[in-house]
Amino acid sequence: MISFEHVTKRYEVAERPAVDDLTIDVPDAMVTILIGPSGSGKSTTMRMVNRLIEPTSGVVRLGGADVRDLDVEDLRRGIGYAIQGVGLFPHWTVHENVGVVPWLLKWPQPKIDARVRDLLDLVGLEPDVYDGKYPDELSGGEAQRVGVARALAADPPVLLMDEPFGAVDPLTRDRLQAEFTKIQQALRKTVVFVTHDIDEALKLGDRIAIMREGRLVQFDKPECVIAYPADDFVSDFVGSERALKRLSLARVAGVASETATNDWAASVPRSATLREALARILETGEREIGVSDESGNIIGSVGLEDVFAHFERPVE
Amino acid sequence: MTRTWPWRPFLAPTIAAIVYGASLFVPGLWEAVLGALFPDEVRVLYHAPMPLLVWQTLLIVAASSALSIGIGMGLGVFVTRPFGADFFDVVTDLSNLGQTFPPIAVFTLAVPLLGFGFRPTVFALTIYGVLPVLHNTIAGIGSVPPAIVESARGMGFTPGQTLRKVELPLASAVIIAGIRVSVVINVSTSTIGAIAGAGGLGAPIISGLANSDPAVTLQGALLTTALALILDGYLGAVQHVAEGRSAQLDAA
Repeated sequence: MISFEHVTKRYEVAERPAVDDLTIDVPDAMVTILIGPSGSGKSTTMRMVNRLIEPTSGVVRLGGADVRDLDVEDLRRGIGYAIQGVGLFPHWTVHENVGVVPWLLKWPQPKIDARVRDLLDLVGLEPDVYDGKYPDELSGGEAQRVGVARALAADPPVLLMDEPFGAVDPLTRDRLQAEFTKIQQALRKTVVFVTHDIDEALKLGDRIAIMREGRLVQFDKPECVIAYPADDFVSDFVGSERALKRLSLARVAGVASETATNDWAASVPRSATLREALARILETGEREIGVSDESGNIIGSVGLEDVFAHFERPVE
Repeated sequence: MTRTWPWRPFLAPTIAAIVYGASLFVPGLWEAVLGALFPDEVRVLYHAPMPLLVWQTLLIVAASSALSIGIGMGLGVFVTRPFGADFFDVVTDLSNLGQTFPPIAVFTLAVPLLGFGFRPTVFALTIYGVLPVLHNTIAGIGSVPPAIVESARGMGFTPGQTLRKVELPLASAVIIAGIRVSVVINVSTSTIGAIAGAGGLGAPIISGLANSDPAVTLQGALLTTALALILDGYLGAVQHVAEGRSAQLDAA
C-alpha cells in the first residue's frame, strides 16, 4: 500500500541527506516500525507519506499513486495521524478533538457523534465521562488514548504514528501498547510507527526497519532482527540482552512438547512467552515444567532443552 | 467551545459605564463639582454638550481602533505565513518606527494631506494603535506549540482552517491584550485630535489651555480618563475570558 522508491530528502544546510536513497515496501495490514537513533531520518521518512515533508527526489506511493498527484488535504484526511505529545487541540473538547477528521470530511453531525462514542469505547474511555472534557483535564495516558482515537476517527486504512506513547510513564506505556496490539489485531490497519525504543519496536512491530544516518540498515521481522542483526550497529542497537529479547518474542505453544505425564511441579499457560517460561523454570528449580491450555488443563511440557533448541532452530 | 460565556468579569465595567453615561445627562452635576473645586473660576464647563463630545471621541476611537486591529492583525498574520516570512523584519521595524514618531508631528503632517478634522485624527491614531496589535499577534501566534499546528496540518486542515480554528483561537488572549493597550492609547491620544479640529473630549482640554480655564481642561481630562478606564475594563474582561481558554495550552 505504501512504498518508497529511491526516496532522498536533502536539506540545504545539512552535509548529508536526512533520508538517503530509501527503497522500502511497507506491507499492508501490518505494523511497520521505523526505528533508529535521533537524526536517522525515521520521522522524516514517515512525514513524506502524508506530505508534511516533500522528498527531494524519488517517489512515495500510496495505493500505487504518487502522493504528489493527490490533493494534499484529501491525502491527509485519508490517513490517521498521531504524534508525540499528542497534539490535541487544547481549546476543543475530547469530543471535538476525536471528531475532527470526520468534521473536515463534512460528515453529518449525528454520524460524527456516534462515531466518537464508539471510538472512545474502543480506546477504553467511558464516553459519558470523557466526551465533554478538555485536554487539560486528562492524564497523560488518557490524552494518548484520545490521540489514538482521533487518528482512527475516519476509519483510515493507513495510520502514521510518531512516538505516540512517548510521553507517559512505563506502566501506562505498557498498558497502552497492549491495548494498541489488541485494537490492531481487530482492525488490521497498515501502520507506520516511529519509535526510538527497541523494546517497543519488538513488542508492537510485525516488521522493523532500522535506519541510520538516513539509510535503511535492515528491514526484517523482529525475530530476524534479533537473531541475525545485519551489522554491528544493529546488534548494538538491539542491545546486550538479545537472547532474552528473542525469548520474549517466542510463545511457549510453539516449542512445547507433548508428554505422557501430566504431573508437573509448576506450569505456564501456552500463550506465555519463552522468557516467562524460563523465569518460571529458574524460580522453581525444575528443569522442565508443564504447559496448560486456556482452561488450565496440562497439555504438554517445556524445559531447558526446549529453550536451547529454540536458539538452534533457524529463524525464518 | 461549549463552556458558557462568563458574565461576571463584565459586571464592574458595565456599572462604571452606566454611572459615566448617567452623569453626562444630570443637569448641573459637573458644574457643581467643578465649581466647588475651582470656586474662583467664572467658566467651569466647555460650551458644547458632554454627550456630543463623548460621542465624537467614541467615533474617532472606534474608527481608528478598527483600522489598527485590522491592519495589525492582518500584518501579524501575513508575516507569520510561509509566503510572508520574508517581510517579518521589515514590518516589525516599520511599526516600531511609527510608534516612536511624535504624534503631534503626525497630525501636523497629515492635515495638508487629509484636511482638518476627523480623517487626519483617525489616520494618526491608527498608526499609533497598530504596533501593540501587530506585536501581540506575532507573539500570540508564535506561542502556539508547533506540535499542535503540525497535528492540524497532518490531519488535513487547510492553511486557512489551521489559522482560523487553531492558531488564532489559541493566540486570542495575547492578541486581545495587545488590542487593549492599543485602544487605551487611542482614547488618550485622541484628545490631540482637537488641534486638528476633530472635536471630542480633547476640545475642552485645548480650550481650557488656550483660555486659562483649568476647570474646563480638568473636565475634558476626567471624561477622557474615565472613558479609557471603562474600555480597558471591558477589554480586560474579554482578555480574562480568553486566557481561561488558552490556559489549557499549558496542559496539552
